[in-house]
Amino acid sequence: MTFFGLILRNLWSKKARSIGLAFAVAIAVMAVVTLAVTSSGLEQSAAAIISVGKADFTVAQKGVADTLSSAIDEQQLATLQHTPGVASAVGVLVETEKINAQNPVFIEIGINPSDLAAFGVHVVAGTAYSETAAHEVMLGWRAAANLGLGVGDKFQANGTTNTVTGIYSTGNTFGDAGAMFPLPAIQGYNRVPGTVTLAFVKVAPGASIKPVAARINHDQPELTTILTAAEFGRADQNLVYLQAAVNGSTVLAILIGAVIVGNTMLLSLIERTREFGLLRAVGWTRRRTVGLLLSESLLLALAGAVVGVVLAFAITAILSRLPTLRGVLHPNFTEGAFWRALLTALVMTLIGAAYPTARAASLSPLRALSYE
Amino acid sequence: MSELLAAAPLVELKGVTRVFPGPVPALAGIELEVGEGEMVAVTGPSGCGKSTLLHLLAGIDSPTSGTVRVAGQNLAEIADLSTYRREEVGLVFQFHNLLPQLTALSNVELPMFGAGSGRRQRESRARELLAAVDLTGRERRLPTELSGGERQRVAIARALVNDPKLLLADEPTGSLDSATTSRFLELLRRLNSEGMTIVMVTHDADVAAHAHREIKMRDGLVIADESRRDVAASGEARRD
Repeated sequence: MTFFGLILRNLWSKKARSIGLAFAVAIAVMAVVTLAVTSSGLEQSAAAIISVGKADFTVAQKGVADTLSSAIDEQQLATLQHTPGVASAVGVLVETEKINAQNPVFIEIGINPSDLAAFGVHVVAGTAYSETAAHEVMLGWRAAANLGLGVGDKFQANGTTNTVTGIYSTGNTFGDAGAMFPLPAIQGYNRVPGTVTLAFVKVAPGASIKPVAARINHDQPELTTILTAAEFGRADQNLVYLQAAVNGSTVLAILIGAVIVGNTMLLSLIERTREFGLLRAVGWTRRRTVGLLLSESLLLALAGAVVGVVLAFAITAILSRLPTLRGVLHPNFTEGAFWRALLTALVMTLIGAAYPTARAASLSPLRALSYE
Repeated sequence: MSELLAAAPLVELKGVTRVFPGPVPALAGIELEVGEGEMVAVTGPSGCGKSTLLHLLAGIDSPTSGTVRVAGQNLAEIADLSTYRREEVGLVFQFHNLLPQLTALSNVELPMFGAGSGRRQRESRARELLAAVDLTGRERRLPTELSGGERQRVAIARALVNDPKLLLADEPTGSLDSATTSRFLELLRRLNSEGMTIVMVTHDADVAAHAHREIKMRDGLVIADESRRDVAASGEARRD
């Protein structure tokens, strides 16, 4: 018999207790992973907008509650365009609208047709809308496919009926699932004339991105540059709050899980006091005895983590199919989510195991053997 | 006294006391020597301190005062008593204390963890010991699938697996019927004849009669120390 075999035998001999402990870990891991992947999905969806335009970086209003609340006026955009090192700064207005039950957050981008090329938009069918057209629209190819619309068809949005003049592709899933309108038209629908949501900046050949971004941050402190998705929180406070809520929930889940693990282990220790006394009496060291208890718990934690991740997959799949969440929730299973699961299980188990193992370590063999 | 004590004693207790909370000390100043190869029975009424004496020899308890030496080592000076317990002594309990979730073979292997032996070596040694106590074919049985006598023999095999110098048995026949007791004592005598030093605690006079020497205790003191070949009248309490 190996030490590992002994661990397995001990766990198997108390199946109900082992399953209970692993399940407690699994539930906590499931909660943590589900929160993490759904928040990551929301974050990814929100941050995806910055990668629609083929820009070196994006500029938004600083510290707004969410990105779509960002407002950059004409003067700020002009200042941006004239910042040394900036080759182009394309201003776009972004909004979302519920088109139908299948598209509860359909993305609509207002952009001048002259900026389409700089923005990385390729018209793959039909033509672009004209700059001052009131009821013209281009659909991303994914949106056109989803809606079953083509060039010449009518598309209802912003309370108006618009003619589809063309189908475009940006190479970005998020961008291709939306629609583009003439900028003045969409500014009119939203009653924000002269205002854009984001500016997509390309630096001049030979200029470095970071110094240009730093200069913009310095010259226009009411704006912020976003170079990566990780910096998105600077322009979207909701994501910061969301992340804080997820972190708080993770700590709470770990604490609740740790209490369950600790309680189960303590009961197990009490139940097996004579067993540990015997092991010490036949020459097991304190370290080996504690190692046995801890190894059993860690193995269950590992099993719980695996089950928890599987449950998280199932739960998020169910959640994302709920009518109220369809199209809103896009679970994003990243490698980080799996590490988070493992870390949650381990931290929870180590916290929960701290007292029982300390107690096991302090067991006197004689007292343990005479324990009734 | 036994003639086996002519050689250096394997076990030597000097002025050993053990005090627990309560009016009477469990051990009140024990002086005792056990020679290598002896088979000693410690007898006396319940609460006289005989189990406490055995626990001190097993290294699972420490004296309040005095010294306990086994094979020349003062147990109080041993930094890691786990090694002592694993390598120098074998312990047999009244109720076997076998782990119910483990087979007879695995129970016997337990003291070998940490002794530097590999899985095959552990298994081979455990099989050898189980064969020595006539349990060949019973290796894969769980304790619940064994009779009381078989369980006690598994406990003996476990106690012997690291080849200890000293075998300690605490009421080893207390839970056995007379036929099984008889077979068990035969096994102890065989081990003793092969050179194993045995100290067993019992309050059964018939069991004690199988030992070379009987140490009678009362109120934490040795009140008689009798050799089977030199049975003398019980003396006064020894308070050397």
